[in-house]
Formats: sequence, C-alpha cells, structure tokens
Amino acid sequence: MNLIVPPRPKYREARYAYATVLPVVLLVALFTLYPIGFAVVTSLREVVLYKPESTPFVGLKNYVDVIRSEFFTSAWGHTLTFAAGAVPFATVLGFGIAHLLNARTRMASFLNVTILLPWAIPTVISGIIWAWIFNSSYGAFNGALYSLGVIERYVPWLSRPTTALLSVLFAHVWKEVPLTSILYLAALQAIPDELFDAARADGAGALAALRHITIPLLIPTTLIIVVYETMVAIVTFDLLYVMTGGGPGGATSLISYFVYNSMFTSYNFGQGAALAVLLAASLVVFIVIYLRLLRSEELYRE
Amino acid sequence: MSARRSIVSLLVALSLTTAVAFGATPVQLTFTVWSYSNDVILDNIKKFEAKNPGIKVAMQDFSWEKYTDVMTARFVGKTSTDVAYSSDHWLQQWAAANWIVPLEDFFPQVKPYKPDFAPYAIEGMTYKGKLYGLPYYADTIIFIYNEDMLKKAGFSRPPATWDDVTKMALAMKEKKVVEYPIMFQFQDITPWYIEVFLSMVYSYKDFRMFDNDLNAIFDKDGSAAHKVAQWLADGMRKHKIINPASLETTEIPLVKAMGAGQVAFAVLPKYNLADLNTPGAHAQAGKFKMALMPGETHGTVGFVRFYAMTKMAADRGKDARDAAWKFLEYFGGRTDGQFAVVKRWALEKGLGFAQLPLYKDQQIRAAINKWGNVTLEEQQSKLARAKEALTPFWGPWSLEFQKEMNKALLGQKTALDALKASAAKWKEMKK
Repeated sequence: MNLIVPPRPKYREARYAYATVLPVVLLVALFTLYPIGFAVVTSLREVVLYKPESTPFVGLKNYVDVIRSEFFTSAWGHTLTFAAGAVPFATVLGFGIAHLLNARTRMASFLNVTILLPWAIPTVISGIIWAWIFNSSYGAFNGALYSLGVIERYVPWLSRPTTALLSVLFAHVWKEVPLTSILYLAALQAIPDELFDAARADGAGALAALRHITIPLLIPTTLIIVVYETMVAIVTFDLLYVMTGGGPGGATSLISYFVYNSMFTSYNFGQGAALAVLLAASLVVFIVIYLRLLRSEELYRE
Repeated sequence: MSARRSIVSLLVALSLTTAVAFGATPVQLTFTVWSYSNDVILDNIKKFEAKNPGIKVAMQDFSWEKYTDVMTARFVGKTSTDVAYSSDHWLQQWAAANWIVPLEDFFPQVKPYKPDFAPYAIEGMTYKGKLYGLPYYADTIIFIYNEDMLKKAGFSRPPATWDDVTKMALAMKEKKVVEYPIMFQFQDITPWYIEVFLSMVYSYKDFRMFDNDLNAIFDKDGSAAHKVAQWLADGMRKHKIINPASLETTEIPLVKAMGAGQVAFAVLPKYNLADLNTPGAHAQAGKFKMALMPGETHGTVGFVRFYAMTKMAADRGKDARDAAWKFLEYFGGRTDGQFAVVKRWALEKGLGFAQLPLYKDQQIRAAINKWGNVTLEEQQSKLARAKEALTPFWGPWSLEFQKEMNKALLGQKTALDALKASAAKWKEMKK
C-alpha cells in the first residue's frame, strides 16, 4: 500500500491562493485603485463645478497650471517647514514620555490613560480648543504668560504668520505625541531586562545603557515614527482649517489646504485632482524610503 | 414566545393600517442652515410641522465660516438636502452648478412676492433673470461705535469720514481709552470680510470695482478700493489703531470683544447692534450706536440670505416639491397674510428684512428703536447697494482677494500690489 500522497500540481495551489485573495483584492481595488484612477482621469480634464455642461480633456494643463501658480511654491514651503518642526518634536517628546511611562510606578496606569487623551480627541475639536487657547483676546495661553509677567500685553498669536504656523505646529505635536509615545513604549517594553542587568553588572551607568542599549534597539521604531510623522505632517489639514483657515495671508496654507481650496472653494476639481495626484506622488517617495528602512530593520535583526 | 410574536405582528399590522388610513408617511425634508439661534430655527420648524402634519423637517447646521464648503461637499456627494440657507455671494455658483433651482420654474405663485422685496434683495436672489429664493433676512453692513468711549475721548458726534475715524481713534489711543480702538473680522476665510471691505468702498463716490464688461478696475491707483486698502494698511501698521488680532477674528469673537469694551469702532452686519444692546448680553450693553457709514456718500452693502430649494428636492417628485414650497413660503413668505417667521427674526434677534411692508409694522419699528434707530436704519438701507459683478467665480475670487489684502495688512505687500494681484486673479478666473 502506497502511503505517499502525490503532491498537488503547483498551478492548482496557485489557483487556490489567487481565489482566496481575490475578494480582498477586489475590495481594495474598489476602495483605493478606483478612486486613484478616477482622480488621475479628473486631473486630465477641465472639471469646474459651475460649468457642469462640459468637462473637456486638457492633458497636463492642470498640472502645469498648479505647478506654475505662486501658491504652489509657498504652500510647499510652509508644508516642509511644518514637517521639519513637527517630526523632530513628535519623535523626541514621544521618546521622553515613553521613558516616563515605562517607569514602573503606581501612577503608570493613570499616566498611560492620560497621555492618550489628546489622541482620543477628534482633530477638529482639538483645533477648536487650541484656537481658544491661543486666542488674542481671551486665550488661556496669553492669560498664563501675562500672569507670569512674560508678556506685557496679549499677543495675537494666530494673526502673525510665524506665530500662527508655530501655534498650529504646537497643537499638531500635542495631538501626535501620544501615538509616538505608545509606539516607543511598546518598543521599550520589548527590550529584555537581562540586557540592562548585564550592562549594570559591567558597570554601565544609566546614560551608557541609554546610549548603547536603548537607542540602538529603538532605531527601527524611530525610523517608522519618523517616516509616518513626516507623512502625517505633509497631509495635515483639519487642524489648520479650524485654527487659522489657512491664514493670515495664506501663511498656514499647507499643500493639503491648497488641494482643498482648489476643489471646495474654487470649485476646480480638475486642478484639485492634479494637486492631489502630485501630493500622492510625493508621498510615494516617502513610502519608498519607508520600505527601505524596513529592509534596514531586517538587516539589524540579522 | 408565540404570544409575543402575535403581539408584534398585531402592532405591525395596526401601524400599517393607520399609515394607510391617514394617507401614507409624512414627507421628510432635510434643511441645512448655518448655526445662528438654532433654538429659534427649531421652534419655527416645530410650528411649521404642527401646521403641516404631513411634513417632517430634519435640520442640519454648520458654522457660517465653513457653510459653503460643507454644502459643496454635500452637493458633490449627493447628500440628501432639500431646502437650504443660501446667500447672494454663492447664488451664482450654486445655480450655475445646477445645485439649486429657480423657484419660478416650479412655483409660479412666487412671482407676486417680488414687489414686496427690496430691490437689492431681489438682485441678490436672481440668476439669469429668475428668482432662486425667498429671503431669510436682508440687511446692511453698518458702522457701530461705543458712545461712552467716544465721549471719553472728547467727541460728542460719531465720525462722518474715514479721516474722522482715524482722528478719533488716535485720540482714544492717546487718552488710553483703549489700545486698539478699531477691530475687523478679517480672518482669511470669513465670508463677511469682502462685504465689510466693499461697504467701506461703497461709501466713496467713485465706488465701482468693475466696469460694465466686468473688468476689474479696483486696482487703479487712487480708486476707492485703493483708498480703503491703504486706510486699512495704515491703520494697522502706521497708526496702530486697528487691532492686529483682526486677522484671526470672525464675527462672534469681534462682537464679544466689542461687547466687553475692547473695541470702540467696528463695521458689522446691522443685526449685531441688537445683540450688543441686549441688556445682560454684554458688559457694555446699551452703549452702542450706529452711524451712517463714514465716507463721501455713506453708501454701504446691502445683502440677502435666503431659503433655496435644491435640485435634489426638485427631482424627488411632486410631493417633495410641494412640501418644499410650503416650507419656503412659511419661512420666507406669508402665512395667514403675515410674514410671521421674518417678523419673529426681526423682533427677537434684530435681523433686517427684505420684506418692505414690515417697515410699516409698528411693533417692528418700536422693537428696532429699543436697540437702534429706525430712522437711521431706513436712511442707511436707502443708501445700500447690492454687491457688484456677482458671477459664479465671485465667491472663490473673494477668498483670493481676502488673502491678498491680508498680505497688505501684514506688510508683505503694498495695498496697491495686493489689489493688483487680486485683479489678476479676477482676470484669470473670468477667462
């Protein structure tokens, strides 16, 4: 009696595999590929909502128009400045707070919940809260600084280009830090205690342990956080929409706001779609970096 | 178990029978508004539903600053909307996009209302010769001042020109009555910005912003727009009489700041005067007065906000259309011979009205005199004009204009350069 079962032909296995993933692929295609394709098609047409009767094909005209516009350069400038501030702050603060949360104290569970609060608040609500806090007439921030004698009169934080961008940045970092803290905390808790015990046995102090154990072992997490936060900073929209409406004088109009403005304010869906495609393309660059970084994590594991 | 099932079946059967007996389910209307005295709107809806038992109205509200954006998203996404607040500055866009429909095409009975409405209000609700709405309210942009602060600075009369405003504001500043006597609502995206700016422009003799072919002429050196833009830039940067926080301010914070005694002069929609002088509503209530818009002619902007019926409602069929008309007429027209809802807004909130017969109403005249001055109000209304060059791209252009003006107020551009950039944008959009 022959007990060896003949292997199934490879093509049958492949067919089975394809059949199992097909429903998911179709769903993904429906909700991602179709909208992307639709956006690309829209970007090649003149689609202006108050001219619904005709949407002629215009090729790359929408792309040329948006790239040539004055706002494109300034919006990218603001976006990159915003990202350059948001990413380091969210990362470093997250790292620091994760250390505090990792300390096994009685307050740990309370702190864990508290630190998550900003993350749990919807962004629009956060925006409203921060707009109140920074308000030039009755804002709590002005009130606190005035009481401490730091300022002689209330400062219109949201009415000056630089301070308006900094205020939005502050609110953004406040909103993002819980996520980075939790990611770091998870990574910290995964580091075996034995490594620290061994380091202590070898006479290493806290700083040496941080430098030679903690930081190297958190590099993969840091890389993921940096890339993710960069992407979030680039596509940030709702917070600045609520806090400043892109002002004053367009000083807080990031590239995402430009997309929104083209579509919902100027009713020019063709140009808005072209901008969205350009924004997506720029994000692809970051995704490529992200994938490379993942590879570096594998190298690290080896 | 089977007893429970029987009871449920019986209840379902009873409900169905009742529905059939009383003539089907009520027509549901979705009504979108910007947030303002929602309690009054809801109470009006309740009364409307009581009078029209076959109609149910679901109200959805959004902030004034974001209203047009939200509505665009709703219309594009085909989110059910039957009747909606609209405004003269969006009418052209919404009508051209085929989102709202001309009332005359569906309800010929709307035409007899026209003689009752102020001309600037009819102009603001008309697109391609057809009426698109019935007025929710119509008002003017006025100049409001704090009489007490003016007296403290040594003045017994309000300013008559913009130079007077500067002189008085400088005096207030010098006498430490207030650090920044003037404040505006000049956040980049607030829809009032352009109306306030235009009301100042319309106070000049050469007020035209556009020629008869809709070409921009406001960017000429020495134009009324240039004078206003320069006055604002000087007030902000040279004289420091305009609160720099104006650039982040919208209507409600401005009214609150004024009510708290932080602002002596403001240019605001008139109904705010009623709120400012409501006893107990603000620390300085009772001290606010209106003056004719300072300037050469004292002209200003007259604007209209109205109820419109959407294309979605029109496409739903006769029942929905009839329900929508009943709604529109109840809210913006006559009920039992009275402009009941409009009158209520005027009496309770001080909202202006397009329905001219209401000016003869003694109750309304007495109410206006409680917080304002009905004679002065009528005088200002006669000097009001509708906004020029309302086109489908007027709304988007106004936002570009506001952003450019704020660059001038921040000192990033000269006033004239900001106007030239806005004119270039107009030209591009017109093309």
